[in-house]
Amino acid sequence: MKRFIALCVLLTLLGCGGKDDGKRLNVYIWTNYITQELLSQFTAQTGIRVKFDVYDSNEAVLEKLASGASDYDIVVPTDYMVRILVKQGLLVPLDRSKLTNLANITPKFRDLPFDPGNRHSVPYLWGTTGFAYNKAKVGKALDSWVAVFDERWKGRVLMLDDMRECFGVALRVLGYSANSTNVSELAAARDLLVKQKPLVKTYNSSDFAGILRSGDVWIAHGYNGELAKACDEDKNLAYVIPKEGCTVWVDNLCIPKSARHVEAAHAFINYMLEGKNIGAVVNAMSYACANDAARPFIKPALLADPTRYPDEAALKRCNLLGDLGESLQLRDRYWTEVKAK
Amino acid sequence: MLRAVTWVVYAFLYAPIAVLVVFSFNSERQTAIWKHFTLDWYRVLFRDELIGHAVVNSLIVGVMATVVATVIGTMAGLALARHEFRGKRATMSLLYLPVIVPEIVVGAALVSLFGFIAMRLSLTTVILAHIAFSISYVALVVRARLAGFDRSLEEAAMDLGANRWQTFWRVTLPLIAPGVLAGALLVFTLSIDDYIITSFVAGPGATTLPLQIYSMVKTGVTPEINAVSTLLLVVTIGLIAAAQRLETSKR
Amino acid sequence: MKSRSALRTPHSAFLLISPTWLVLGLLFLAPLAIMLWLSFQQRGLYGGIEPGPTLANYVRSFESGYTIIYARSVWIAVATTMTCLLVSYPVAYYIALKARPERKSLLLALVVIPFWTSFLVRTYAWMFILRDQGVINSLLMSLGIIHEPLPLLYTPLAVMIGQVYAEVPFMVLPIYASLEKLDRSLLEAARDLGAGAAAAFWRVTVPLAMPGTVAGIVLVFIPSLGTFITPDLLGGAKGMLVGNLIQNQFGPALNKPFGSAVAMTLTAFVLALLWAYAGWARRRGEEVAL
Repeated sequence: MKRFIALCVLLTLLGCGGKDDGKRLNVYIWTNYITQELLSQFTAQTGIRVKFDVYDSNEAVLEKLASGASDYDIVVPTDYMVRILVKQGLLVPLDRSKLTNLANITPKFRDLPFDPGNRHSVPYLWGTTGFAYNKAKVGKALDSWVAVFDERWKGRVLMLDDMRECFGVALRVLGYSANSTNVSELAAARDLLVKQKPLVKTYNSSDFAGILRSGDVWIAHGYNGELAKACDEDKNLAYVIPKEGCTVWVDNLCIPKSARHVEAAHAFINYMLEGKNIGAVVNAMSYACANDAARPFIKPALLADPTRYPDEAALKRCNLLGDLGESLQLRDRYWTEVKAK
Repeated sequence: MLRAVTWVVYAFLYAPIAVLVVFSFNSERQTAIWKHFTLDWYRVLFRDELIGHAVVNSLIVGVMATVVATVIGTMAGLALARHEFRGKRATMSLLYLPVIVPEIVVGAALVSLFGFIAMRLSLTTVILAHIAFSISYVALVVRARLAGFDRSLEEAAMDLGANRWQTFWRVTLPLIAPGVLAGALLVFTLSIDDYIITSFVAGPGATTLPLQIYSMVKTGVTPEINAVSTLLLVVTIGLIAAAQRLETSKR
Repeated sequence: MKSRSALRTPHSAFLLISPTWLVLGLLFLAPLAIMLWLSFQQRGLYGGIEPGPTLANYVRSFESGYTIIYARSVWIAVATTMTCLLVSYPVAYYIALKARPERKSLLLALVVIPFWTSFLVRTYAWMFILRDQGVINSLLMSLGIIHEPLPLLYTPLAVMIGQVYAEVPFMVLPIYASLEKLDRSLLEAARDLGAGAAAAFWRVTVPLAMPGTVAGIVLVFIPSLGTFITPDLLGGAKGMLVGNLIQNQFGPALNKPFGSAVAMTLTAFVLALLWAYAGWARRRGEEVAL
């Protein structure tokens, strides 16, 4: 028994101990957003050891950083969340002198409205939030959000478990802006979502592609990258940017104010700006990157795929989510009502 | 009739576990149709660094929480069974609180505390949380064990010239050992299994096995989860069996 | 004699109990106190806290949009408890009164073992069984009984199954303990006095096993009230329960003061239930440590 306890204590010391020499990095990132190989290579190159945790909503990032109790050095928030985090003073300005690969960023992704001059953020991956469906089961071509409200697909629809995205869909179908703060428009969207609820098999933000592929649902609201992978594996599946338009989003590498390894965080951002590295993420995760130097490293089939890299016409229909300010509370209340019904 | 109902309930209790174990050896990935036997999912599992890391974290938390909570809880159990002191009733109520307050409330309250005192979330906060919710279990188990305990043995030891520490180590501890062990085992199991509270207080890199399993379950049903579940089952059942043997051999 | 009394001084009691006071005070009472304080504050724009004091969070928590959530939580907890009772009573009865004595401990152990396995693993097992490509649907389809998979996962039925599965042991054990202590001669006396088997059961067994039955009900009802993983994983995140509401307010909704108010209300409700239970048990002359 004594020896057992001694062993355990030793184990604990080995686990917890180890001095903090600045050669560490805590990364908080979306599920399915980076590969272990890249992290291992980064460690091999720089000697910086990386730990990473995953989340599946932007609000999780805000909550962790705002709690003041987090210890992350890199977070990867979406556009509108970058704006909120900056307003809240939760991010540190980036030191551009340490980011020698900044020039690799595609010009049209620089200086976006949510972070003028890229003072606090560097684009990582971008994509759209549309839906994918099973052509064989549905039996016809779909091109509108109306499909997810269609009684015929009762019990065969999956929606993201995400307040912003679900309200976005309902508002667009009603002909309003996805960023509406108008009370009566939001109430109408809520009523539509309540009406939709019996059709929804499940709300899920983590496994939408897997559930679609398994056949449990026929229509799945979700992010394009994972849905594109599902479409590659099953030719019956197709991804749609609906005619009403959808969310386009840009996820960004940022350094929280509470970061303790700012130096290492800059090294990591610069590493991920290298075309070869971010190209490897694109190949593995199927989302698009905003990096010109990556193009030679990305499989040509992916670059040519309109699901991953939509054409300008499709992108015209899409827009970024905005910061809703105080109106967020009303949406949350309405969202709770949808979920409570 | 009664017998039949009883067997049906046992089938209900064990069928899901059996299914889980059997299908961890199935080569078919997508559906629950048996193809043929394979150990592939276990191989995948042993190569998975994230799971390895989560197992180490869970062991660290489990062992630390068990050691600290068992020592403190045993002391409390002794005090409650042996002594009259001011605030004893209040102490009993306090000990029942962690058992009855819903876990979600405990988790949310703890993260509020850590935020309030600006303590960074880490593996340490997980360990603290686990100690907090498990002391009660040890104290209550040890106290129950001491309830039917013969004081004359201790008094005899002291009359024979043993001092308090000797009496404690040589007489009291061996007598309450089964209770202490049962409490420790309970703490370890609770700690290894806790998801709700841990999900609130875990910091960077402090992903424990339940957090890891939860995120795997959320991102899709796969045979790897069957395999990790099976291993977890083997370990917990092994632990209980070991504790049972230890207790019976003591008697 | 000197040393013997030394063992009992309040001094040593204080030494033994103070670590518990310290730990539970700092890591249990203090957090709850902070939460209580939070519940009277106002939320800041992005998850921050603006100084109160205000009752707005409590007022809001009783609006109709939220009471429907509490109603569903109570309903789920009641349904879980009743189903557990129906499932567990025969088992407890069989083990206590019908099974051969040498097999009792094995039968009891078999009830308890699933409780020792991971809660997540048990929930996952049901996902694996109930989904469209799960064990039940695969089996029925391969036998040609059905051609389209039955919708089983992500339904209220799935949530109930998962809940009952998790809670059954907590119902069987206390009922068993009560029945085991039951004086069998009373049953025989009832039969001798001409009572039928059913009458003897309802008039003698059930009342005498009441303490264990009520304990089981309390043990199952309270955790069921705060559940939130089962509805998420097995229910498809469709029917929000009070546990989900609290988690949501602390998470994506960024409103800790409101989440705290709901959590405090839930805690008060649970404590009130237990207090009522303790009163009931005391009136019956049982020893209750609350």
